[in-house]
Amino acid sequence: MSLADIMLTIGAVTGRSLLGRRRTILMVLLAGAPVLLGLLVRLGGSRPNALPSALDGLVVSSVLPLVALVFGTAALGSELDDGTAVHILTKPIPRWAIVVPKVAVAGGLTALLMVPSTILAGVLIGGLGGTQLALTIAFAIAVLFGSFVYVAIFVALSAATSRGLVIGLAYSLLWEGLLSGALKGTQLFSVREYIRGIASVLAPHGTVTSIVGGNGFVFAVVAIVVVTALASWRLASYEIRASE
Amino acid sequence: MTEPEPEPEPTPPPPPGPTSGPAPSNAALSPATPSFAPPSAALEPGQPIVLERVSRWYGNVVAVNDISFSLGSGITGLLGPNGAGKSTLLHMLAGLLRPSSGRVLIAGRPAWHEPSTYRRIGLVPEREAVHAFLTGREFVDLAARLQRLPDPAKATERAIATVDLESVADRAVGTYSKGMRQRVKIAAALVHEPPILLLDEPFNGMDPRQRLHMMDLLRSMAAAGRTILFSSHILEEVERLADGILVIYAGRLAAAGDYREIRRLMTDRPHTFRVRSSDDRRLASWFLAEPAVFGAELRDNRLAVQVSEFSGFTRIVARVARDAGVRLFEVAPTDDSLESVFEYLVTRR
Repeated sequence: MSLADIMLTIGAVTGRSLLGRRRTILMVLLAGAPVLLGLLVRLGGSRPNALPSALDGLVVSSVLPLVALVFGTAALGSELDDGTAVHILTKPIPRWAIVVPKVAVAGGLTALLMVPSTILAGVLIGGLGGTQLALTIAFAIAVLFGSFVYVAIFVALSAATSRGLVIGLAYSLLWEGLLSGALKGTQLFSVREYIRGIASVLAPHGTVTSIVGGNGFVFAVVAIVVVTALASWRLASYEIRASE
Repeated sequence: MTEPEPEPEPTPPPPPGPTSGPAPSNAALSPATPSFAPPSAALEPGQPIVLERVSRWYGNVVAVNDISFSLGSGITGLLGPNGAGKSTLLHMLAGLLRPSSGRVLIAGRPAWHEPSTYRRIGLVPEREAVHAFLTGREFVDLAARLQRLPDPAKATERAIATVDLESVADRAVGTYSKGMRQRVKIAAALVHEPPILLLDEPFNGMDPRQRLHMMDLLRSMAAAGRTILFSSHILEEVERLADGILVIYAGRLAAAGDYREIRRLMTDRPHTFRVRSSDDRRLASWFLAEPAVFGAELRDNRLAVQVSEFSGFTRIVARVARDAGVRLFEVAPTDDSLESVFEYLVTRR
């Protein structure tokens, strides 16, 4: 068995674990919220001018972090909490070979829900006009990157602490929601800003603004690599909680 | 983050049973009485399991306190009251907890931060948690694949057959009874045929037939040279299965070795023998004249003799009976059960 086979095996188990019936229904409903809103907007007529703020506010700032938080913390944190992770951790495999497939699968599932959701919501709100469609596709690609960045961060938080869900929520709501608005410097450490940066490069000129601009791509990729490495390092020193 | 090194050549099985601290090398070991010299280094560095002055604390709470011992092949029972530190010790052996001080070595390598040692360890954790959506076969196959076995399917079938779980192997583990879950965890721990087995309360939830089957299995594995350490709170299980015991109390190693030998070393506690003879009353009066005997009691037509020294009494009993002109039918120690030893070790502290 090569390491690639091992990672495929872990990825397959992670995928089955994440796709539990209740969680799947909940996540589909959550990802459907922007589509539902888009439908309501559509019923009142196409609103092309509202498209950038709708996708930014509804998808990037609200639903995407929540879906990524649920999948990201469940991929590793739930297994560490309930003890099933022991069956994987007590095997002769490097820790990064456990973390990488978990980030890949949880990120992939997040993207699988959120990219179509972004496209459908964008088309419903902005219509299929050239500029509006380009803007929608730009956001969809940015959301694809953002899915993996968010999930990598939440997997790392799960490896570092048993309160990964709470801290992840605080990061999304407080750091990205409040601090990033008040203190511009903190936007350099905001996934939301990386997504805006990627969208700003891909979208028609001037439709999306971001302080990181094209560097959003670089920041996103660096964040995925660095955070995944940190999660692997943390997992290598993982200590089981004492039961006695 | 490097790939684990290839497995080293297997070493020949070391002598059986646990050894501890600085005791003589041929010792079956003594209870850790106050006169027991503090452990300094493991006696047998070549043993599969070696602990050298290992402690583990959580903040101000000391869970394991300065424990040293080494284990060779055979079955060793890990005993101790709830909260004594058994699981902490097993978790350190399994590399799931870092010792606060001291060293834990598995086959000569540190247990902590060394994933390659998992080629040599099979771990059965106490917690029941398994991936409930996997079938039993998939769960064992997962272990086989993560152990990077050349033929995981074959190893899986063998392990499932070993624990007698073929009939339900294609059912989701989530539908298993507690005993079945224990067995599937044991199958997953055995799938790579490790030379060292660490089992935390392995018989939990098993019915009597399954227990006997599992005990036979562990005995045969021990006979093949494996090192097996299992914790249990059921003394009868340990008494029936273990070649030696480790007793942990309040984080300290209270005793290690053969429990009968430990009992004989408890010289501050009288031994009681049950004696049946052709004339118990006459024999009792003769016994009372012996300096090694300080009590004899007839109760329910049975003679109970209290002696200060186990082996001293066994040397004189035949002579006394002959001198008294009494025929002996039975002489049996009544308080060298594991329960008696355990109670003594725990309550005297």
